Amino acid sequence: MSANSWLATGNFFTTYKQEQRTFLTSLDRAFFTFFLVLLFGWPLVFELSNKYMLVVDNVLIAIVAVMGLNLVTGFAGLISIGHAAFVGIGAYTIASFCRTIGDSHIIITHFWPALIVFSGLVGAIFGAIVGLPALRLKHLYLAIATLSFQMIFEWTIQFMTFFNQGQTIYVGRVFWFTGKVGRKDHYLFWYFIILTIVILLGFGIRNLLKTRYGRCLMAVRDNDRAADAMGMNPGLTKVYAFALAGFFAGVAGALHAYVYRGVGFESFTLHESVGYLAMAIVGGLGTLNGSFWGPVAIKFLDLQVETLAETAAQYLPSSMNLATALKPFTFGLVIVLFLMFEPRGIANWWRIIKSYTKLWPFRY
Amino acid sequence: MMFLASCGQQEKQEEKETKAAAIEAKTYKLGMSLAITGPTSDAGNPYAKGVEDYFKYVNEEKLLGIDTIDCTIRDDQYKTDVTKRNFEDYIGQGIIFYLNYSTGSTLGLKKDFDEEKIATIPASYHAGNLVDSNYIFLPIASYSEQLIILAEYVANNHKGGKAKVALFVHPSAFGRGPVSDVEKAIAAGLNIELVEVVEHGKDLDNTAMLKRLMSKGVQYVISQTIQSPVATMLKDSQRLGLTASSFGEAGKITFMGAHYTGGNDLIALAGDAAENYFWTTAFTITSVPGPATQAQLALAKRYSRDDKTANSHNYAAGIMVAEVAAEVIRRAKAKGVEINKEALYTEMNAMNGYNSYHPLTCTGPVTYSKTDRAGVDMLQIYSVQNGVFKKVGEPIQSEYIKKIK
Repeated sequence: MSANSWLATGNFFTTYKQEQRTFLTSLDRAFFTFFLVLLFGWPLVFELSNKYMLVVDNVLIAIVAVMGLNLVTGFAGLISIGHAAFVGIGAYTIASFCRTIGDSHIIITHFWPALIVFSGLVGAIFGAIVGLPALRLKHLYLAIATLSFQMIFEWTIQFMTFFNQGQTIYVGRVFWFTGKVGRKDHYLFWYFIILTIVILLGFGIRNLLKTRYGRCLMAVRDNDRAADAMGMNPGLTKVYAFALAGFFAGVAGALHAYVYRGVGFESFTLHESVGYLAMAIVGGLGTLNGSFWGPVAIKFLDLQVETLAETAAQYLPSSMNLATALKPFTFGLVIVLFLMFEPRGIANWWRIIKSYTKLWPFRY
Repeated sequence: MMFLASCGQQEKQEEKETKAAAIEAKTYKLGMSLAITGPTSDAGNPYAKGVEDYFKYVNEEKLLGIDTIDCTIRDDQYKTDVTKRNFEDYIGQGIIFYLNYSTGSTLGLKKDFDEEKIATIPASYHAGNLVDSNYIFLPIASYSEQLIILAEYVANNHKGGKAKVALFVHPSAFGRGPVSDVEKAIAAGLNIELVEVVEHGKDLDNTAMLKRLMSKGVQYVISQTIQSPVATMLKDSQRLGLTASSFGEAGKITFMGAHYTGGNDLIALAGDAAENYFWTTAFTITSVPGPATQAQLALAKRYSRDDKTANSHNYAAGIMVAEVAAEVIRRAKAKGVEINKEALYTEMNAMNGYNSYHPLTCTGPVTYSKTDRAGVDMLQIYSVQNGVFKKVGEPIQSEYIKKIK
């Protein structure tokens, strides 16, 4: 290690443990801590309306879901176009409890942290089951297998009366140490909860990628036969990649159920799956920070295009309904442009910016 | 003396200020979220324009005196998530009355309306909207009532034996909701036989379904969905020569449907296959001359709306909900109470008996109370004759809906 832990200059390692540290310098750690303080502190200083707090919560939920998708598609190279269905599994786990024991039962309102974890586990089980075809299928064929799961999910929810045939199943208001979380503080409360979960899961992925299990994911992505020859188990790796993605998606679904205080079918359609995939691509497949950039960028774009389409609808002739086409057109265009000109996503821009700043003070 | 004089002047000044404050114009904030773009925007777009135009008219013609209505209208693309965001925004802005749109979002936000204690009028007439809710008011009779009215019409006008009927419904709560109510009406004595309930998909051909219904002796198909699947079915039926040329023609099928299956959009989609299609709604339509038609077209002309919008029954529906909202504000204002959510909710519940209100574009009066939150109960049946919808008899009220309630 360098003599001064605050400087990147002369930074070398003498043990593997040192190399695997999360923060290379104390400066990195200080910056990150400051960033976290900022994330937790700003809502206490700048009061945001419920509308925007809901948008922020929604972005954070998408981050949790996309982290999972990035694990299976970005790191393990297994295409999944049924990710919204996995998110739906998590949400409908909560909904199933509500249908069975009532939406304001103490288990729903007081033991919600356990239910969120449980939803993640249910998502993981479904992920592992859906991942089984990955033992035999690759590329487009695997994509079709995940698509079929999406279709089965949609059909099941829409036709089973237990799931209210896709219509909203209500979820009660939760309790915190201070009592029932009321309408006024609802979105702020969930902001802190989801942010904490994002940080924990983010660190989880970061640490996973340093372990042999994480490296297995990337080895299988790059060449599964070579990975097999190196003594790894590609089949198991693929299944647990799906299980991990299912866990993240399940947690995201449970959070969605609690934030929206209800579960409805339309939040987990194929369209949403494509949306998650777009977030992962735009953010940067196979990068952890891409999972943050993608949802932020796409959700922000969504909001802007919504406003644009709404304004356009006032002036464009209603018979042609051109305004309706604006959103999918913009959405598709952004994905195509990223695939053409920046396939590594926004994460690559972040990498470039970081590399510029690293020049100071004489890192190399 | 000087002191007394100055005191007098001060009192006069205060009186002037009080009077000025008393006549200060107020702006009442309302909010509306609906599908201006995306699925069902063919209905949402003219609906939004109806609301917008009527509130403009209220403000310009000073129907509320110097006070004005400021109704923000936002597109939700038929997505409940976006509707929820819009609603939160409106609540933050301090709205006192809310206008919603789809069945899904109305059901999804039901608890929010109750928590906020805000009177809400959706464009969805799903009876389930009213279950476990105190603040949702349907503008007109529910889909259930509309289907039962059509079934009653079949039972009363079918010649020979018990009429065999099939329901053609949308695969969602919007479509499925009324099915159980029709079954209940039959159980209560409505003289029809429900042969089959078809949940349509996105089929582009209904030949097999129509042939199957014919083989089962079905003579009437009652639809609870949107126009496009009905138009596909009507065109297929015409191609197969199965469409009845008059109501109840033996060996043929007479097609009928609820509010969102009909209107000019259906005629535009189905062409002459729409001929003899029976449709029920509680709104007046512009192909039937009368003061309501004149008023609707005049309003559309005043705000330079195109012909399609001007003649849309959804434009009429938008005008109607705006009329109701403006009316409850006017009534609350006339009583001199503070205009807020609670006052408007009270006025909504008091809109019955002598206090009922007849909006111009409706076929009957709006009546609301704590136990009746479906507005216009009088439904008009129309049928397509020579390419336009014409009235069939006078507005009627369902007999069996009361029996099954």
